[in-house]
Amino acid sequence: MSVRNLVQFVGAAVAVMLMSVGLNFVVDPLQLFRSANFYKPMYSNDSRMQNAGLIRSQTFDTVFMGTSLAIHFRQSDIDRVVGGRSLKLSMTGSSSHEQSFVLAAALARHPKRVIWEVDDWIFRNAPDVDADIYLPADLYRRNPRGIAEYLFNGVMARESAWMLARSTPLLAPVATRVSTGIVFKFPIPDVDDINVLAPTFDLGSFYNATRAMAAFASITSPARRVYLADGYNFDAMMKNFERDAIGLIQANPEVQFDIYLPPYSILQFVAMRDASPATLKIVYDFTAFVAQRLTQLPNVRLHDFRAIKEVTHDLSNYGDVIHHSPVVDAKVLQWLASGEYRVDPSKPLASLDALKAQVEAYRVPRFSPSPLVGEGGSPR
Amino acid sequence: MLFNSYLFIFLFLPVVLLGYFALGRRGNVAPVVWLALCSLAFYSFSNWQFVPLLIASIAFNYVVGLFLIERKLGPRARRVMLTIGVVGDLVVLGIFKYAGFIVVNLNAIFATGISIAILLPVGISFYTFTQIAFLVDAYRGSVARYALPHYALFVTYFPHLIAGPILHHKDMLPQFERSETKRANPHLILCGLIIFSIGLFKKTCLADGIQPLVSLAFDLSTPSLDQAWIGALAYTFQLYFDFSGYSDMAVGISLMFGIFLPINFNSPYKARSIIDFWRRWHMTLSQFLRDYLYISLGGNRRGPLLRYVNLMVTMLLGGLWHGAAWTFVAWGALHGAYLCINHAWNRFGPNISPRLARLGDIVALLLTFVAVVVAWVFFRADTVDAALTILTRMTDPSHIVFGRGEIADSGIIVLYAALAWFAPNTQEIMGYDHAHRRVGERLTVWRLRPLFLYATAAVLAFGILGIQSHSEFIYFRF
Repeated sequence: MSVRNLVQFVGAAVAVMLMSVGLNFVVDPLQLFRSANFYKPMYSNDSRMQNAGLIRSQTFDTVFMGTSLAIHFRQSDIDRVVGGRSLKLSMTGSSSHEQSFVLAAALARHPKRVIWEVDDWIFRNAPDVDADIYLPADLYRRNPRGIAEYLFNGVMARESAWMLARSTPLLAPVATRVSTGIVFKFPIPDVDDINVLAPTFDLGSFYNATRAMAAFASITSPARRVYLADGYNFDAMMKNFERDAIGLIQANPEVQFDIYLPPYSILQFVAMRDASPATLKIVYDFTAFVAQRLTQLPNVRLHDFRAIKEVTHDLSNYGDVIHHSPVVDAKVLQWLASGEYRVDPSKPLASLDALKAQVEAYRVPRFSPSPLVGEGGSPR
Repeated sequence: MLFNSYLFIFLFLPVVLLGYFALGRRGNVAPVVWLALCSLAFYSFSNWQFVPLLIASIAFNYVVGLFLIERKLGPRARRVMLTIGVVGDLVVLGIFKYAGFIVVNLNAIFATGISIAILLPVGISFYTFTQIAFLVDAYRGSVARYALPHYALFVTYFPHLIAGPILHHKDMLPQFERSETKRANPHLILCGLIIFSIGLFKKTCLADGIQPLVSLAFDLSTPSLDQAWIGALAYTFQLYFDFSGYSDMAVGISLMFGIFLPINFNSPYKARSIIDFWRRWHMTLSQFLRDYLYISLGGNRRGPLLRYVNLMVTMLLGGLWHGAAWTFVAWGALHGAYLCINHAWNRFGPNISPRLARLGDIVALLLTFVAVVVAWVFFRADTVDAALTILTRMTDPSHIVFGRGEIADSGIIVLYAALAWFAPNTQEIMGYDHAHRRVGERLTVWRLRPLFLYATAAVLAFGILGIQSHSEFIYFRF
């Protein structure tokens, strides 16, 4: 074979790639360039990628941000209970820098309000977003590299073709049946359904005291307790907090920030108390600093749900020591709407002091799994 | 640096090729030095902290090898030198690969809280084995003296450095010395590019494409029977397309430089026995274990009982070579047991009537395949308990979902099975003959050559388009 064959080969490969780029540009699965108008749009549970498109394609005046603790909310529920027109951008396991970066992109669309679920651990290790292989930072920036990575993307071309197939009457029944969401990245037809729990999800078997206690036993075991302290450094966390939270809030004085500290189970703090007291001290000191700092800002309302005993002590609300059920999600929205647990700027540490007292007083229940508990009952 | 990255495909590889052939006009050693330096640059791109270790390993083995080749040492001194070399290699491998495993087990036994964090240098298992083979052969007197640049290139040669194939000095060093390989050959470059394309497609489209299904078995706490099977089969195909894709890419890249690498896979899931499977799966590792471990242990020369013991020992160590975890030990033990049963069956089992030969082949293929899938569950699972749970689910007919999702996922599994069982493999498509240094000869006279070129060009295009930013090869961790 000759040099001519070599050129033919490379030329044909380039031609196929350009066809794929054309398909991605025309269909535009993330709706980055235009709203879907000739096909039915579909959405992905990969929120780090999907958010880049949602920020461009959706109409919203409220942004909802957080980690996995804030991922199962429905936007329609947020709108109904808290008011406004929301866009949920929560990302599982996200760092403060990721959240701040995505929020900044959303704030460029000038929403009025941000509801932000804030965990202390998101400030532990917040590497630069460009070193984050899961967050397509350049896509948010809409720079040539980001656009090129979006268009020169075979997976996206497959999704483009699939979206067209689902919008073609002849192919739609088959295409819909095989879109399982495991292989295909865009299986969700309604933006309100992104990352919500399916109606068939068995809440009782996932959120129950047995699982919460099992998680507690695991993280406090001699082999694993060292991980409780992983990354907790007061100075580093404070620095990340100033950069990612305070910096963003101060740069957007016209935006109202409703920041809430979520209702972890009491076991989260008790685990630190029993297995890593130094870490618990850092958490206390850091959240005290956070409360004092945030309550000084005029465009922030801080809500602290960590000491709501009737929720945090009822282990049947939890799938592990931190993740609560959708029942608690609904309560969170009500608390946000009512402002019942808003931190008084004149007493920023009151709720933290209440939490400290609860943690100190709590005795870990002697626990033996029983059918009652297995069905979601409390060990007490 | 990953083969499946834009940086490698569009910058590193073209620059190295151009430099190699440009220097090839000026002599025979400069291209070798260039390729060795580029290989170190390739390695250092994502593993720079381990470059000194790699260089030290090369220097150590080269010096020990020199003593064994050059010096007129007595038998006792030669044995001591070999021991120093092999033990030195194994100690380094042991520290980096097995220290953590040992500490975890000590903690479990003595309830201690010792913690150590040692990063595993990428490729250490491969370059350690390559050099142990060199030392053993030098001791056996079957190695000629080689210049340091050629030896350094033999170890660091970037197509194989990270995850094999495990090279043999007798195969590679003469090729590095030949002046013909330093002249650009359009035929070899095109054939290499096509083989690379097939490998890239296997990795980015097939292996990465099926990867999400693996979670059905390995990430769900209580998978149903069908989900457990879908996940286990998905991993079976993911691993094959991932590793054989990598090996194809290595062969293809090397071919562009005029160097023929040994093949590592020969349609392993078409195997009709476990013995056959190990002649088709990770072939260079199988050959290494056979030549330098199994035969050194005595092989089958000391009676049938010791043969089975040697098989078990070889496969257990082969399992541990893959990783420092009990799951790999269990995987190795399982394959050791399979091989013992297979050899015993060959010896004591009944002969199949010719009339039933075809049926027997199908049964043998399916039985072999299922045995391999069961073993892969241990290979992939985080713990032996987790593997046993998944295997229990795979045999529990009381919990079957088989909803819309599982039916669609099964369709994907069937598609992959059809590819693994019925499609020709890369060397069959390309007529790659490693032993005779021939490739693509039929293509030069084939009437459908343009069609073939366009089809494989599309394969390259989809392979490149399928590149994802966070997709390492599975075998990088071994």
